[in-house]
Amino acid sequence: MPVGLPEFVDNPENRCPVILLLDTSSSMTGEPIQALTQGLQVFREEVQQDTKAALSVEVAIVSFGPVQLLQDFVTIEQFNPPPLVAEGYTPMGEAINFALDLLEGRKEIYKANGIQYYRPWLFLITDGAPTDSWQAAAARIREGEANRKFCFFAVAVAGADMETLRQIAPPERPPIQLTGLQFQPLFVWLSTSMKRVSSAKVGEAVALPPVGWGQITT
Amino acid sequence: MSWTTIARSAIGTRHQEQQLPCQDSTTVRVLGEVAIGAVADGAGSAAYADVGAKLAVETTLQYLSRTEVWLQRRQFSWSTLPDFPPVDLLHRLFSKAVQRTRQALHRQAQATDSTLDDFACTLLLFLATPYWLAAMQIGDGFIVVRSPYQSYQLLFQPDKGEFANQTSFVTSPDAIATLQVRLWADTPSFICAATDGVERVAIRFRDWTAFPPFFQPLEAYLEAASPPGPDESYLVDFLTSDRLNARTDDDKTLLLCRYQPSP
Repeated sequence: MPVGLPEFVDNPENRCPVILLLDTSSSMTGEPIQALTQGLQVFREEVQQDTKAALSVEVAIVSFGPVQLLQDFVTIEQFNPPPLVAEGYTPMGEAINFALDLLEGRKEIYKANGIQYYRPWLFLITDGAPTDSWQAAAARIREGEANRKFCFFAVAVAGADMETLRQIAPPERPPIQLTGLQFQPLFVWLSTSMKRVSSAKVGEAVALPPVGWGQITT
Repeated sequence: MSWTTIARSAIGTRHQEQQLPCQDSTTVRVLGEVAIGAVADGAGSAAYADVGAKLAVETTLQYLSRTEVWLQRRQFSWSTLPDFPPVDLLHRLFSKAVQRTRQALHRQAQATDSTLDDFACTLLLFLATPYWLAAMQIGDGFIVVRSPYQSYQLLFQPDKGEFANQTSFVTSPDAIATLQVRLWADTPSFICAATDGVERVAIRFRDWTAFPPFFQPLEAYLEAASPPGPDESYLVDFLTSDRLNARTDDDKTLLLCRYQPSP
């Protein structure tokens, strides 16, 4: 009797969640907000070129001005970069707290559905100084980083309050000063990093590509 | 012949593209009525992962085999114990095997001017008799067992951290303290040990259960085998198939055993 071949169980892909925390306060009006919007398109296109990353990467966008869930978690296929409107103050503390809660909720969904996931990324882009109380949010960031719950990156656009950002970002990953409005190279870098993370082998430390779009300021 | 066994590894497409060696290793050996198997998966981040995995499999298999040879010389065997072996004895046995492996890796590291972590690998071990099976796991990968008239059972819950790319290794400082040991107190009619490259298609992640349609054909394959053993082309073809490579780009290992009581 010929022996058949093993059949495969259909398991969901591993997920690679990333939250973009975008400063859309009124100081971003004009060129910065346009460049940022284009950057999101670049991110989408770049990730989509990689079959594995396209299935794994899930993106959410939290914007502030007023804190808004501009885009709940979606895979790259379903991701249509929303238009960004610059308005209001810079409630960075509230936005960080909102993003961390959003992430916790997402993890619960993964766990309930047996979906394995990589260490999530939080990616903050700002050109200002927080206009609200940010100390509690900074403490959550640092605690989460210390426990390796997520990776937090802070990108400073010209005009950002570097002193405060340094106190929010974890000491091992200081804020990066964006060169001019080089949002495109920034998002190419982010997508390359996501590709590496989503194809990482078990136990592998992921080496990130060099930061060509900004300066790491310690 | 009471045991039918085969163990093969195949390189993953990612390592092939990067011109890296296969970092999985496996061996299975039958001594009288006892089957002893080992599977190791070298860590992608380790410089000599392939050497580490190979050395871990060789060292542990040799150690476990020697215990059986020692017993046989005295007219005993693991398979003639009057009762199931106590779990603390098994714990000591496997701890010893891992210790030997760490020593061997350490010597290798010293000889090549590298570090223990350069040889990091996971390790699955089992020692099976017609009446019971003892197994150990460090890191990911899986062992599935089936007893007569029973369904396929996953022996250990996955040893994973919160995230998909975390696991522990033989070379971790706490390897011996955290190794998992289990006694399966029933006839292991079928055993399948595998590295995590195969996990995605064989184990349902939602509730960590073995997927029977994956294992049934493998068991039928051993059942259809006649001496001197199974035709390896079936297993090798499967491990190198495009169908499997479409689902995983990692190295893949399957170690299969079937026990059939002598008529």
